[in-house]
Amino acid sequence: MKNELEILVALQDLDLMLKELDEVRQLGFDVRSEGEEALAKAREELVGQISKPLLGNYERLRAKYKRAIVPVKGDTCLGCFMKLPTYLLTHMQRDQRVINCEGCGRILYWLK
Amino acid sequence: MEIQEITGFFKEELFVADLKGKTRDEVLDELTEKFISGNFIKNHELVLDMLHRRESVGSTGIGHGIAIPHGRTTAAPELTIAFGKSSAGVEWEALDGEPVHLVFLVIAPPYEENNHYLPTLGKLVEFLSKAENRDRLKAIDNFQDFISLFSQ
Ligand SMILES: [Zn+2]
Repeated sequence: MKNELEILVALQDLDLMLKELDEVRQLGFDVRSEGEEALAKAREELVGQISKPLLGNYERLRAKYKRAIVPVKGDTCLGCFMKLPTYLLTHMQRDQRVINCEGCGRILYWLK
Repeated sequence: MEIQEITGFFKEELFVADLKGKTRDEVLDELTEKFISGNFIKNHELVLDMLHRRESVGSTGIGHGIAIPHGRTTAAPELTIAFGKSSAGVEWEALDGEPVHLVFLVIAPPYEENNHYLPTLGKLVEFLSKAENRDRLKAIDNFQDFISLFSQ
């Protein structure tokens, strides 16, 4: 079972894919309309596993910034380049929880 | 964007001269594992899920024995390409039904400053549409020769 952060990240990856399907098709790749429907369905399934407030948070961030979830490099949010406090970094690494950047509000994802 | 610029996205750790995988799923798994062992990405499952999703939309086998599985993922720090060869060939549900011998796995982050992801896919498709380039790729067995093929 995936935790909520992992489901959110999967959702962002899926949204990124949906957004560029037309461009990928134009490059000569096989992108079928029934495949697009399957993706939309997969999206519904992921959305169903995320709590309403968190989903609202994700959608609001996505509308505002395009990327709702951004990586953390070292101790820096790569969305706004704010240095994150140590206690936040410890939480992130240890608990794999959904944590918003104190600077920009985006959801943080630990890359390494 | 020029084809030479792509060479920077290839890594020696992500060069597989002889793929062990016999099926599409096995090859995707094998190449994704290279990203993990090479320390390019930490979340194997996330990347693999994304790649399977992409294949469910339509095969990334573009014909002539070539597959270019691809996608953006939050788990990727930068645009990176793995390459694998299969002498036996792998069933990929390709457009022309032919088994796949050359696999380019292109993984990109959600956002890159230079926006190289789609142009890179386009350049790869263009480069691989030439039979002489495909034949040369089939003949190489080491990373240095591989890179110089794209540097010419
Ligand atoms: Zn931030």
